[in-house]
Amino acid sequence: MPDQVNILVIDDEQIMRDGCFRILSKDGWNVISAENGSRGLEEIKTRPENIDVILLDLMMPGMSGMEVLDHIRTIDPNLLVIVITGYATVESAVEAMKKGAYDFIPKPFTPDQLRIVVRRALERRTLQKEAEILRRERERTLRDIATEKSKIKTIINCMGDGVLVCDRDSCMVLTNPAASRMLKISETSLLGNFLSECNLPSELSKTMEESLQTRDTGYTSVSQELSSGDPGEIFLRAHTASVRNDIGEVMGSVTVLQDISHLKELDKMKSEFIAMVAHELRAPIAAVEQQLTVILNKMAGELTEKQEQLLSRAKERTKGLLNLIKDLLDLSKIEAGKMVQYKEPLSLQEVIQRVVDLMRAEAENKKIDLQFSASSKMLMLMIHADRNSMEGIFTNLISNGIKYTPEGGKVWITLGEEGGFVKATVSDTGIGIKKEDLPRIFDKFYRVKTAETRQIVGTGLGLSIVKSIVDAHLGSISVESEEGGGTTFTVFLPKESTNGPPYKEEKS
Amino acid sequence: MPFALCLPKKEGRKMAKKILIVDDDPDLVEAVTMILESKNYDVAAAYGGNEGLQKAKSENPDLIVLDVMMPDKDGYAVCKELKADAKLSKIPILLLTAVVSKIPTTRYTQQMGLETEADDYIDKPVEPEVLVKRIEALLIKG
Repeated sequence: MPDQVNILVIDDEQIMRDGCFRILSKDGWNVISAENGSRGLEEIKTRPENIDVILLDLMMPGMSGMEVLDHIRTIDPNLLVIVITGYATVESAVEAMKKGAYDFIPKPFTPDQLRIVVRRALERRTLQKEAEILRRERERTLRDIATEKSKIKTIINCMGDGVLVCDRDSCMVLTNPAASRMLKISETSLLGNFLSECNLPSELSKTMEESLQTRDTGYTSVSQELSSGDPGEIFLRAHTASVRNDIGEVMGSVTVLQDISHLKELDKMKSEFIAMVAHELRAPIAAVEQQLTVILNKMAGELTEKQEQLLSRAKERTKGLLNLIKDLLDLSKIEAGKMVQYKEPLSLQEVIQRVVDLMRAEAENKKIDLQFSASSKMLMLMIHADRNSMEGIFTNLISNGIKYTPEGGKVWITLGEEGGFVKATVSDTGIGIKKEDLPRIFDKFYRVKTAETRQIVGTGLGLSIVKSIVDAHLGSISVESEEGGGTTFTVFLPKESTNGPPYKEEKS
Repeated sequence: MPFALCLPKKEGRKMAKKILIVDDDPDLVEAVTMILESKNYDVAAAYGGNEGLQKAKSENPDLIVLDVMMPDKDGYAVCKELKADAKLSKIPILLLTAVVSKIPTTRYTQQMGLETEADDYIDKPVEPEVLVKRIEALLIKG
């Protein structure tokens, strides 16, 4: 029985042994007796685990109690020994206690005194056992953790995706071979170094630093695409998220890298195919529209009213098709890097003013208040950009604003300066964009489908073209919107540096 | 179809101006021809760059409407050769551009037109009134 309490009495006096037996047996404890030290030690050696408390007489012939105590300590220092002192001398009791005895009881003692002392020792024993159980559990847990750690390490090392983990002090604490391969940075140059020393692509280390400083306690992860810029270019997609503890403090940052070069390659082939198809479609559709125009102008004879009606509609359709083709060609041209060809110093204010003037008629038709407040200071603010592309961006954004704003609404444009960037915003009081649509708004061919947008003509390419142009100018674009509460697009473009263009003219 | 043989001269009017259309798409040539003939122009047609150059010499046109994208010799090359020829360099050229892009509107096409020394450009498909207005303007200038 595991709960059986065993008490060993070592005493040379038969009366004492019997007395103890009688008293302690009454409480249901199992009492084992030994008439001298060596017998007692044998008992302990055969079952050290099972002896809970030892009552040890100090004055015995042969091996003395003190000697026995020494031996017991070498067998198991945790064994609880209560010494029985023949003479009520404090000295021998103190000496025994110094040698590791748990307690002492002077002779003669009453049954109750014995019970109290033994009971106290047993309580201690229980605590000892519990502590032991806890210790073992902890050991096992630690072992499990070690196994788990090694398992995770193996998994991470076997992964095809790159993994970078840094702690909250921006020190890189975990990487895997895939990450080293993708970034072309050796593990030793990553591990143990601060982010700033790792030679990571600058956008990536910036994102990781930011994820360490973010205050947003919700789960946030940032995805971005990185390209090496070398020949035989590698394209990576990096997902970065912060690691938090149970009270929401940032403990570190994890980045997973995926090699998307083959996807990029496929995407490029697809774009080229689209461009080819668009080119091939354009000529016949233009010819058909030309023929329809001739017929509609009655140059091939008179038309009935019905014929005219049908052909007008047919012409509308070919016009729509040509618009789609133009969008497709713009897109493939941007992807081929041919769109942004003539970069020059530009005043963005001038560009926007021109677009606003051109759009005014469209806005007035829809009774929309189109505002652009310009200051003379902004006129001097230059960017290095392709004029046509810039006109394209703002034509697209402003025309979207007008399209998606009901009559009587407002579309307004602001221009400012922030850091090394020129910041332009285009806002409207329109129907807004649903939260779930926001992340995909810059995707190719993505259109928000609602009852309100069904009537609005478009290919779903406009914003993706806008984004491609902004990207090609090393800028950024973001959108803020609330369903029914209007939309604001914010465009950042690098300011023209005073010592000439920051990059070479790109002529294809 | 021998458009060159169509002679829509009307009596009591001064000699109609002759326009040469150069485009590899016969359907487009036919449609543009119909537009121009309805305005009483004399029309000659060529279905490629080389044929266009040849007709420019033989037909003695007052103006050339020239497509850009042609398989044998493109409009820019034709334009260059015409402008280099002392006898032909005076003939105004209206470049017929397939709409290249929605975003760059004026400047791109202007630039291309100017670089090739064409006198004007127009996107196809064309609206009859626009085409005729541009042609009239070039003829007056020429």
